Order: sequence, then C-alpha cells, then structure tokens
Amino acid sequence: MEISILILSFLILISIRVPVAWALGISSLLTLMVSVDTFPAVTTIAQRLVTGLDSFSILAIPFFILAGHIMNKGGIAERLIAFAKSLVGALPGGLAHVNIVAAMLFGAIAGSAGAAAAAIGGFMSEKMEESGYDKGFGVAVNVTSATTGLVIPPSNIFIIYSVASGGVSIGALFLAGYLPGIITGIFLMIVAYIWARKKGYPTADRSSFKMILSTFLDALPSLFLLIVVIGGIVAGIFTATEASSVAVIYCLVLAMIYKEISIKDIRPILVESSSTIAIVMLLIAVSIAMSWVLSYENIPQAVTQALLSLSDNKIMVIILINIILLIVGIFMDMTPAVLIFTPIFLPVVMELGIDPVHFGIIMVLNLCIGLCTPPVGAVLFIGVGVAKTTIQKVVRPLLPLFLAMILALVFVSIFPELSLWLPSLFGL
Amino acid sequence: MKNHVNSFLEWAMAFLLGVMVLDVFWGVITRYLLESQSSWTDELARFLLVWLSILGAAYASGKKLHIAIDLLPQHLNQKQQNYLDIVIHLLVLLFAVAVFLIGGIRYVYISFALGQTSPALQLPIGFVYMVLPISGAFILYFKLSELFTIIKKIKNGN
Repeated sequence: MEISILILSFLILISIRVPVAWALGISSLLTLMVSVDTFPAVTTIAQRLVTGLDSFSILAIPFFILAGHIMNKGGIAERLIAFAKSLVGALPGGLAHVNIVAAMLFGAIAGSAGAAAAAIGGFMSEKMEESGYDKGFGVAVNVTSATTGLVIPPSNIFIIYSVASGGVSIGALFLAGYLPGIITGIFLMIVAYIWARKKGYPTADRSSFKMILSTFLDALPSLFLLIVVIGGIVAGIFTATEASSVAVIYCLVLAMIYKEISIKDIRPILVESSSTIAIVMLLIAVSIAMSWVLSYENIPQAVTQALLSLSDNKIMVIILINIILLIVGIFMDMTPAVLIFTPIFLPVVMELGIDPVHFGIIMVLNLCIGLCTPPVGAVLFIGVGVAKTTIQKVVRPLLPLFLAMILALVFVSIFPELSLWLPSLFGL
Repeated sequence: MKNHVNSFLEWAMAFLLGVMVLDVFWGVITRYLLESQSSWTDELARFLLVWLSILGAAYASGKKLHIAIDLLPQHLNQKQQNYLDIVIHLLVLLFAVAVFLIGGIRYVYISFALGQTSPALQLPIGFVYMVLPISGAFILYFKLSELFTIIKKIKNGN
C-alpha cells in the first residue's frame, strides 16, 4: 500500500516535469501521511531534511564541488591534457585516448563527472573535430570516460555511500575504487582503439621521454593533490571532510600561482559553486528523508525477504540487483539512487556475505552507466552541451562504450578482489 | 525586486560557503599546529551547511535550477504548457508551505520549547532550524511571482 503510493506519486510527479528533488519530497510526505497525521507528518519531514544534512561527512561534498570549480578556472585541465597527450597520444585514435586518460585524472581530482565532462570535453571536442574525428564519437568517449572519475578517488559519491550505508570506511572505499576505475578506463580505451582503427583516425607522433617528463612535471602540482588527499585520509592524518577543505585551499593557491585566478575572482567562484551545491544538497536532503520514510514503513525488510525468496544464490542476487540498478539509473540521478537504494539492498547482500565496500563499488560503477543515458543522464547533457551537438548523434557511438562499461561492471561484480585487495594492503 | 532577492541569496550563500571552508581548514590547522582541536569548528561547519543547503533550495527554485525530466511536456501546446506550469509551481509551493514553513516553524518551536542547545557552541538548536521557515518564505515568494507571471501571460493570450 504505502510503497505503491510512493512509487506511483513519484513517477507521476517526475513525468509532469516536477523537479526531481521536489518530487522526492512530495512523495515522501504523501507516503508518510498514510500512517501519520498531517501536522506531525510535515514536522517530521522538516526535521528529517535538516537533521539529514547535519553531518560532518556530508560537508566534504560542497568542498569537493568548490575545489572542482576552482580547478576548472585554474588551468589544471590543460596541464593534465598535455600530460595525457604525451602518454597516449601516439595510439591509434590518439585524441580519444588522451580524452579518456585526462578525464580519469581530472575526474579523480575533481571528484565530479560533470566537472570532468565539461572541463576536458570543452577542450577536446574542438581538437578532435579539427583532426577529422566524428563529433558524436568524441562526445561519447568524453562522457563515458568522465564517469570513471567517480570510481577513482577522491569521489563525492563514495562519501554519500558511506553516509547511506551507516558508516562504511571512506578510506577503504576510496582505495577500493582505483582498480575498478582503471579497468573501466582501459576497457573504454580498447573500444576507442577498435573504433579508431576502423575509421582510420589520425595518430600523433610518439612523444620523446623528455616530453613526457616535462609535461609530467607541469602536471605534478595538480597530481600531488591526489597524494595529499588520499594519502592523508588513508594514513588517518585527516578525515575526508578535512581533506576536502585542504583541497580547496590547495587548488586556490595553485591557481593563484598559475596566475589563472586572482582575489577578485573568488566571490564569483563561490557564487557559482554554491548554486551547484544548492542543487545537490536539496537532492541529498530529500533523499535522506525518503530513505527514512522507507525504513519507517519497513520497506527494506520487505525487499530483503522478497529478493531472498527468489534466490539465495550470491551471483543470482547480484545480477538481479544490478539489473534493477541499471533501470533505476536510467530514471534517477546517482546521488538519490545511492541514498535511497543502499539501505534497501545492503542488508540483502550482507546477508549473502558480500563485503559492503565491494557492494559500494558495484553500485557506483553500475549507476555510472545511467549518467550517460537519456532522459536524466546529467553527464551526457553536459558533454553534448559543451560540444554543441545533439544526443541523436551520440547514441550510436555510445553503444559499444556502454558494452565496455557493462563488461567492467561484470568483472568487478564477479571478482571482489579487484575492489578489496588495495584496501586490504593498507589494513582497511 | 526579484533581482534584489536573488543577489541577497547569492551573497548569503557565498558568505556561508567561504566561512565553512575557512572554519574546517582552521580546525585542521589548530589540530596539527596547536595540537588542541577546537571542538566548535565541526559543529559550526555542520550548522553552516544546513543553512547553506536549505537557503540554496530556495535560491535554486527561484532560478529554476532544480533538474526536471522533459518527457510529456514536449507534446503540449503553449496553452497547455502554461496550465501545466501552474500545476507544477502550485505543487512545489504547497510542499514548501507545508514542510518548510509550517513543519519548519513547528520544529523550531519544539526545539526552543525543549531548550535544546548545541554541545560545543551552547547555541539554542532552534536557531539552526530557523532556516527552514526563512527558506520556505523565499520559496513562497518565488513561486507566487512565477504564478502571477504565468497567469498574466494566459490573460494576455486571450
């Protein structure tokens, strides 16, 4: 009863173009009003909105968003692209590989796929078109590779998963993301390689060692941020939130040394970042409220029983959950999906002995695919927007790249070692 | 008027975000350099985050930044679009009034009545939650002005 009200009202609301965040809030309220009187219901939702946000871990999210905005202005993307070019530019379809590697590096540093798609794509799409690449292919490569930055740490979505799962170690999740993220990147490069061979795209000259070294030294201050943030968190020097504030100050100082921004640019950057933050934070608040309503109505227990009655085979349940999440990802942005579905699915998989860190990686990798599909694929829209093209042109080249992402997802789902080996090395 | 409200909210959000960064960074510095972390930095940052997020909700709704899915509306003509927009704005307005304004005021009232204060800053916790009705009032203002604009459009169209 309650669950059907929740799902139906949500689907109706989003299909008539009510903003997703408000739709989540309205359906939560309606569902709660079935079993609770109106005044206590509105007060409870109000309470859940603010108490859900009142968390030190969640603070890292606005900070990483701010750091990403500073990087976008700070000349960091260009240096990473130059470094990536000297590394992989000589492969067939060189610029596609440059895009993938640069997006992995930038996405990792910025912790946001949207920022990576905008910064790298804005720069690369022009270059690719000049060199005779098909525009749709360039955008498809850009948006899919931008999502790898969500799996490669530091990454906001793992902080959200940590909150949603009731405190899985952020350090462990960060380390666990490296190999799956790199594997996805390599799979994407393989597809780009085959596609480029078929279309006969140009290849750049091989870079000399000196060239690689000089672009590496140029990119080093940016890459060093990764060492500070990840190293600091893993070594227990600071929390993810503290690390994110260090990242903001570091990026700011770096961009000022590069003379890309000055004191008077700080206010516009703060304003611009806070409107991005505003969008994300309302989504987080209402998703936490909805998740609370779901557990108040005992939905997670019902789902656990239903899933386990279908099968108690680990692989079967993982396949089932992956299929559900792929469908969810098509219609829902990653942040609410993680906040709402983690409390529902985590008890099931833990019952079957799957490590919560491993499951976090599976979930994020899975939902990355939804970020590149219409109608809600945020990263797809950003990628198409910066390249000034249409979604129709991107769909065809996206398909083989999706296949690569799904293949990576299958590998990561089947072999928990890919996720758990690195954290275990550091005793996390 | 609307521009003034927007630039006020922009100013407030930028200020909150800036203070938040400095506050947490200060927490890190005091812990390592002075070897005694001030306990209030964590708490202050969390409270600022609540204010930034809830005020941001109003700002983003005024600027129509919240993401929506375009499925049905493409098949509608301009007149139907206008009526649909009225429905959407009304729904958001109702939610904001019910939860942010009424629920928010009740929650603030309860927090003050119980005399809850924060552990480090000794701040009555009701002040933190007060951002709910404030933001609710902004959303009410934005949505009403949207509704008036659309209704004017419909009248002129006839």
